[in-house]
Amino acid sequence: MSEPASYAKSSAAAKASQRSALRSYLGAYGFMAPAGVLVIIFFLIPVAIVLYLSVTNLASSNFTSDLARMEVVGLKNYQTLLNDQFARKIFFNTIFYVLVTLSIFNVSLALIVSLLTTHIDRGAGFVFRALWILPRITSPVVYILIWKRMMAEAPFGILNQFNEFLGQPTFNYVSTNPWVFVVIVNGFIGVSFGMIIFTSAIESIPKDLLNASLVDGSSRMQRIRFVILPLIRWPLLFVVTYQTLSLLTSFVEIQLLTDGGPGLYRTEVWSLTAYHRALSNYFGNAQWGYGSAFAVLLVMIGVVLAVIYMRVFRFDELIAEPRVEAL
Amino acid sequence: MEIRIDNLTKKFGDVVGVEDLTLHIDDGEFVAFLGPSGCGKTTTLLTLAGIYKPTDGLIRFGERVVNTVQPKDRNIGMVFQSYALYPHMTIFQNIAYPLKLKKAPKSVQNERVRQVANVMGIGDLLDRRPGQLSGGQQQRVALGRALVKEPDVLLFDEPLSNLDARLRLTMRGEIKHLQKNLGITSIYVTHDQVEAMTMADRIAVMSGGHLQAFDAPDELYDRPKTRFVAGFVGNPPMNFLDVEVSQANGGFLAQADSIRLPLGKTRGEAAAARAGSVTMGIRPEDIQIADDGEVDGEIFVVEPLGREDLIDARVGPHSFILLADTEARRRAGERVSLKFDMTQAQFFDPQTERSLLWHQ
Amino acid sequence: MTARESLFEGDKLKVEEAPPSLQRDLIEGLRLGFIGIAIMLAAAFFFSGVVHPLFALGSVEETVTDVLTRLALLAMPFVAYIAAASVARRYSARDVPRALALALTCSLVLFALISAGHYALGTGVFAPRPSLQMSLSQTDAGIRVDAIVPGGAADTAEMQVGDLITAIRRDAVDLAAFNKRLGQSEDDAPLRLRFIRGGEEMQETVRVVLQTDKDLRRLTPGLALGLVFTAIIIFLPGHWAPYIALVGLLSPLLVGYFWVIVATFSYRTEGLVPLDSNDNFGGFTLKNWESIFAGDIAGLEFNIWPILMTSLAIAVVMTFVVLLVSSMAGYALSRMHFPGRRFFLSFTLILHGFPAITLLIPIFIVLLRLKDVPFVGEFIGFNTIGGIALVMVAFQLPLGVWLMKGFFDNIPWDMERSALIDGASRFRTYWEILLPQIRPGLLALGIFAFIGGWNAYIIPATYSIGTGLSNLPVFLNELIDETAPVDWNQVAAVGLFQLIPIFIFFIFAQEYLLNIYAGGTKGSS
Repeated sequence: MSEPASYAKSSAAAKASQRSALRSYLGAYGFMAPAGVLVIIFFLIPVAIVLYLSVTNLASSNFTSDLARMEVVGLKNYQTLLNDQFARKIFFNTIFYVLVTLSIFNVSLALIVSLLTTHIDRGAGFVFRALWILPRITSPVVYILIWKRMMAEAPFGILNQFNEFLGQPTFNYVSTNPWVFVVIVNGFIGVSFGMIIFTSAIESIPKDLLNASLVDGSSRMQRIRFVILPLIRWPLLFVVTYQTLSLLTSFVEIQLLTDGGPGLYRTEVWSLTAYHRALSNYFGNAQWGYGSAFAVLLVMIGVVLAVIYMRVFRFDELIAEPRVEAL
Repeated sequence: MEIRIDNLTKKFGDVVGVEDLTLHIDDGEFVAFLGPSGCGKTTTLLTLAGIYKPTDGLIRFGERVVNTVQPKDRNIGMVFQSYALYPHMTIFQNIAYPLKLKKAPKSVQNERVRQVANVMGIGDLLDRRPGQLSGGQQQRVALGRALVKEPDVLLFDEPLSNLDARLRLTMRGEIKHLQKNLGITSIYVTHDQVEAMTMADRIAVMSGGHLQAFDAPDELYDRPKTRFVAGFVGNPPMNFLDVEVSQANGGFLAQADSIRLPLGKTRGEAAAARAGSVTMGIRPEDIQIADDGEVDGEIFVVEPLGREDLIDARVGPHSFILLADTEARRRAGERVSLKFDMTQAQFFDPQTERSLLWHQ
Repeated sequence: MTARESLFEGDKLKVEEAPPSLQRDLIEGLRLGFIGIAIMLAAAFFFSGVVHPLFALGSVEETVTDVLTRLALLAMPFVAYIAAASVARRYSARDVPRALALALTCSLVLFALISAGHYALGTGVFAPRPSLQMSLSQTDAGIRVDAIVPGGAADTAEMQVGDLITAIRRDAVDLAAFNKRLGQSEDDAPLRLRFIRGGEEMQETVRVVLQTDKDLRRLTPGLALGLVFTAIIIFLPGHWAPYIALVGLLSPLLVGYFWVIVATFSYRTEGLVPLDSNDNFGGFTLKNWESIFAGDIAGLEFNIWPILMTSLAIAVVMTFVVLLVSSMAGYALSRMHFPGRRFFLSFTLILHGFPAITLLIPIFIVLLRLKDVPFVGEFIGFNTIGGIALVMVAFQLPLGVWLMKGFFDNIPWDMERSALIDGASRFRTYWEILLPQIRPGLLALGIFAFIGGWNAYIIPATYSIGTGLSNLPVFLNELIDETAPVDWNQVAAVGLFQLIPIFIFFIFAQEYLLNIYAGGTKGSS
């Protein structure tokens, strides 16, 4: 290889190889382009804009879509937020909502349903799991319509009809127990996510292992306790973190069911506040800057948690180098 | 089409696929790449196909350097281990696909596909889909698809390994026959040394990304140039034993513990030229159980193969694989005397693993 | 025959198994029952004594903990019966009398214990009840006052023995209705009674008092329920239990969806009961459906067809764009080698975890700016179907790209290599060879995208405010918000109308739906 002639030849080959590489890269970027453009327009630019909006005083009265003409007021919105007497209540409302819904429905009930459906006939288990998908594939408006009738006052409400049937007093649930229904309504949607993850985790436990534990003399309950649960610790952690973020940022069902009420912010949560302040005419005057300040907190939490998922949940194993190089 | 590979290196990041491979293949020749899995033979084949880009070195088809030529412009045909038939197309569409991409007129496509299909004996299957075909039929379709565009080079990537033993035998003959008739330069990757020995004009034995030997089949068998080649070619594999070769009473003696084997002059001299112990190799068929054997041992395991028995005989700490007539009805635990045909013994340098007899 | 060796020295391992003993089983059953009671009491205390005060500090006005506490206390005896009966179940197949005796004894003891607790604390069945402090009986002429507690509520209101009560305010009552009304009254609530005294109609206002009533007869229904429940538990086949639990957990959903269907086809409904215009059971009608197409519900006039077309357009555009864009990017990430590939992959994953809904506010501005772009803005700007669809496409893209990449990853590499050697370009390979082979993936993602587009509410509602561009969910919400009084049966019809494609997908593509929700989440191995 030290001969000049052969050296020259291989350097020409190297140049040709660079050209062909460039051509193949351009092809790849062509395939990526549409997705890339959409991501830039609807993810990256909006993140920048929301940060910017949160330091302006943009409101209905001085609304403009021209970023250059907005009035920058620094951290004033964040100061207002810290001093807002209701922000504290909304903050604790949000923690309550996420913790209670997550622990009762998105994790516990999901785990119970997946354990129950994996311990019965396969086909029947599948049907039950499929039924739990219904709330997730129903439009929130229709889903909430159903729940509104569920909790309506006597004699129209379904629950109150049961109460009457059992000789119990009837209630105006919207005013007496709004949180109960906000939690149940969101919880019934949330069950399916954990249920699917847990079920696939349970079903991916080798059959031999499950049979071995029975042969070794454990009962079915003991098998759940000593074999299945320890083996699905990782999916459990994943569901907890992933659903925490989903609950933190979901507000549509609450908006449709109680719209944060009744009364002053009784069931208002953080993400709903951001929406109310900036995009809903509920307050008459839409405060874009102030609403964005609420949204920025959620965006930050979202970015941090999303990066954590990627790092923690074995991202590297998901990436295999492609095995065709030419084009 | 003549193929010249010069100093070819292909790396995947830090992992070496193949390193500094130089190989010249004559026009119309049938060459087999033989080696254990991970030896770099498939990497080399895919680099020839243009699927991988060489990290270094040159590949020439005839006079043309093809390093950066796209696969579709190399005019090659390839048969894959999995056949890689397009499941959503009929057999006809599968075979016609290369012609369609060449924008050949419909009538030409029709005619060619039927001709190829008839040659391959699948003329009545053209309307079916790959999923409805047996393994052997799929194999023929894959071959037909590779041949239909009249390639300059045919590449085979372990094409027979998914077939049952009987079918493999038939297809082996058919592929060899077809290749000789059409005279297309062919490269055939396999880990099955019987396939390589029976089909190829020359065999390139590879290991760890390096070319170990490139020779005609019987050369490889009778005169292995490295210990790897000696051990890889032949079934059951060659027995190896570290021995001291010394000159005594005008003859030569190979010696390991209690084993003492007299040696002819040519082999003895070559082996003795290397100071210290050397690796002796001897094929199972060159060891006999005989009354007048030089070495006493004990049968450890007998494995009946049908036509003969495979016997693992132990001599002290050493183990020898040999073949014996089933008629003899050998039993484990039996004490026997072994006779070695030392005119066939091979000798290798234990460090470099090169042959002490056949190195250039 | 060779002699067998033993792995261990000494005798074979033996675990003593004692003969069945009624006494031991009884103790075991009661022990489990006590544990059940303790756990439920602890849970009740945790909800009302720990969780509730904690959130009250943050001024959260919630009743969830209250409901949970009541549920725990309500379930407590049943949990205890089940725990105790689990011992008796061992004998239910071979020795029925023994199983029954064991379980019923345990339940009796546990019931007595719980009841004693209620008696001592004045809770449960012994809790103070609203009372008027007089005893009554039903006669043909009305409810007769049989006795009056001296100095009690009735006495204070100057009721007299022999009065015949006929009504509370204007509502005529019999004894059952009277007691029900009384039972729902709070402390000190005034009840205005109409009664007949000496042939003359009179009225008095009696104030309700809460009276502790430790009448042991109140225990009878609970005792009967407990014993029957225990008897059922010990003979219930074990494999039924999961089914009962699953149906129980699902029942609110099933009931809810059942209501939609019933309501749609009836004149009006009370709870789950369909009623006709004379308030009798029945009243099957198609009028709710007719009014959808007639375009008039509760005075709100509309034309269903443009709304339907908007819904369809959003869903269809979205489905196609999601499929095309995701599969192209997924193909490149799965099959191509280019600088930045690792970055794009990790970025896709980050986006996948990122809650896009938090960007609703800035995207409003983005859409307004897009509207200003010449020509293109007409199709993808603010208040256009294209703009709404694109936002939703972008939100589904991380999932779609990841899913498509996964499907491409599963196609053997030889397929791709074969096509390239046959002479295809990368785009042809993608389009002609690989796309047809990931049809299940395309179908799954397509259904997912279609459902997403069809159900879309918050994005169309937010980005087409007050401009008449509404799809079915937005229209449905308008119906609920802007008509008064809301005709729930007609609204239900619109809801079911919107649900039809969802039900169709649900029935025919359950497997795909379950798969996509599983496939859409990484790390689910």
